[in-house]
Amino acid sequence: MTLLSLPSRTDRDLYPALMSPQLNAKYPADHKAFVRIDVSLRIYWHTLFDICPELLELSGPDGMSIFRPFMAWAEEKKLAFDWSYYLWVYVWLRQSPFKERLLADDKYLRSIMAASAARWAILDRGRSRGIVIGCADTADLVIGWKCRNVRLGREIELIEPEEPLPAPSDLFGYFTLPSFELDIFPGWQSLAR
Amino acid sequence: MRLGFNFTLGDTYDMAQRLIAEGHIDYCEFLIDNFFCVDPDELAKAFDCPVGLHIMYSKFLEADRPTLVDFAARLRDYIDALNPIYVSDHILRFSHEGRAFFHLGEIDYAAEYESVRDKVVQWQEIVGQRIHFENYPSIMDGGLEAPAFFERLMKETGAGVLFDASNAVCAHRNCGTPFEAWRNVIAKAQHFHVAGYRQSLIEPFISLDTHAEALAPDTLAFLRNFRSVFDKPGATMTYERDDQIEFDDIVVDLKALRDLFGQPEETRHDLALTA
Ligand SMILES: [Fe+2]
Ligand SMILES: [Fe+2]
Repeated sequence: MTLLSLPSRTDRDLYPALMSPQLNAKYPADHKAFVRIDVSLRIYWHTLFDICPELLELSGPDGMSIFRPFMAWAEEKKLAFDWSYYLWVYVWLRQSPFKERLLADDKYLRSIMAASAARWAILDRGRSRGIVIGCADTADLVIGWKCRNVRLGREIELIEPEEPLPAPSDLFGYFTLPSFELDIFPGWQSLAR
Repeated sequence: MRLGFNFTLGDTYDMAQRLIAEGHIDYCEFLIDNFFCVDPDELAKAFDCPVGLHIMYSKFLEADRPTLVDFAARLRDYIDALNPIYVSDHILRFSHEGRAFFHLGEIDYAAEYESVRDKVVQWQEIVGQRIHFENYPSIMDGGLEAPAFFERLMKETGAGVLFDASNAVCAHRNCGTPFEAWRNVIAKAQHFHVAGYRQSLIEPFISLDTHAEALAPDTLAFLRNFRSVFDKPGATMTYERDDQIEFDDIVVDLKALRDLFGQPEETRHDLALTA
């Protein structure tokens, strides 16, 4: 095993690298620290491509031409990697060389909005029951509902409103619902980083 | 030893029902904050068996007090409605500098002891309940300090430990934490977890707590060698499975645990009363 100049006694020593392919590369590949960071990075990868496999059509099967530059960009922007993870991937794709192919088929956007709605519904622990996500690239809305019944999981709905809501001022906007009913439009909130 | 199954979302509802009906398990462990939008009384009626409550995302080491107070208020409704055998949570890091981990982080047991202890005291006070905290499947060598940390935490806060046996097996394989070092923790613990693990895809291999495989031989050997330290009146062991959820495979593991620990006294007592 290579001697390591970077501290790596505790997991905490590795925290900054757990979401950084660039920092991972600084650890020797035959060291446990490298493998531990690799395990973490793979989960960011799987969280993206297992849920939105159509993105692999853009990137090629290993996903790396999206994953690596996105993670570097996310690091620069200090993205929180909360439920909006997928939406930020779309924001990045839209200013990347993949832009044209991305916009040519709305399946990418639909999959990304559904993935973020589902992630909110699974991970959010506030009192809201649902989230509505809108995007300036479509009049469709995606709603994520938290688990409302012991026999069900979270539910995702795609809505094509007869009267479209005003477009969010940023690329994406969202609002949350205090009950299991889409009966309000309090205006769009911008994504937090 | 009462055996249980982790119920995390509705898609395993029918299977959990069948495990109860066929006597493979004696209780269910709810990942309770996944069900915060389900009416507490409905949840109380979901299974005809005792329940344990496992908290996943209180993030009590990182969240501010108003957030924790609000979380605890909702948790309280479920504690009151379900009258659980235990309430458990995790000693974990969910983020670094405001950015979320997707593979959760282990704390630094030596450097963070005092601050974690104070937060544990506060969290139990906010919930109004003794809480059992789960040990981490350590990878890095800081995991060697985990047993002493949990022992001291129990002593100084009155908290319990939800001792995850296969997490201790992962820690043993990854950083050499001796099973013997956990003896006092296991002896004081009432509530346990066990599950399968797998190896990392690349070398040098590390063992990962994946909840998707059969119980490993070294996990079963650990339970066998410490059987009398684990087993005690009121003890529970939850079999965790979150992926590759096949009824027959799960029953094989639950039967192995039954063989190891025998029928729980509580059930035997009930049987004696009705016989
Ligand atoms: Fe757990
Ligand atoms: Fe566990």
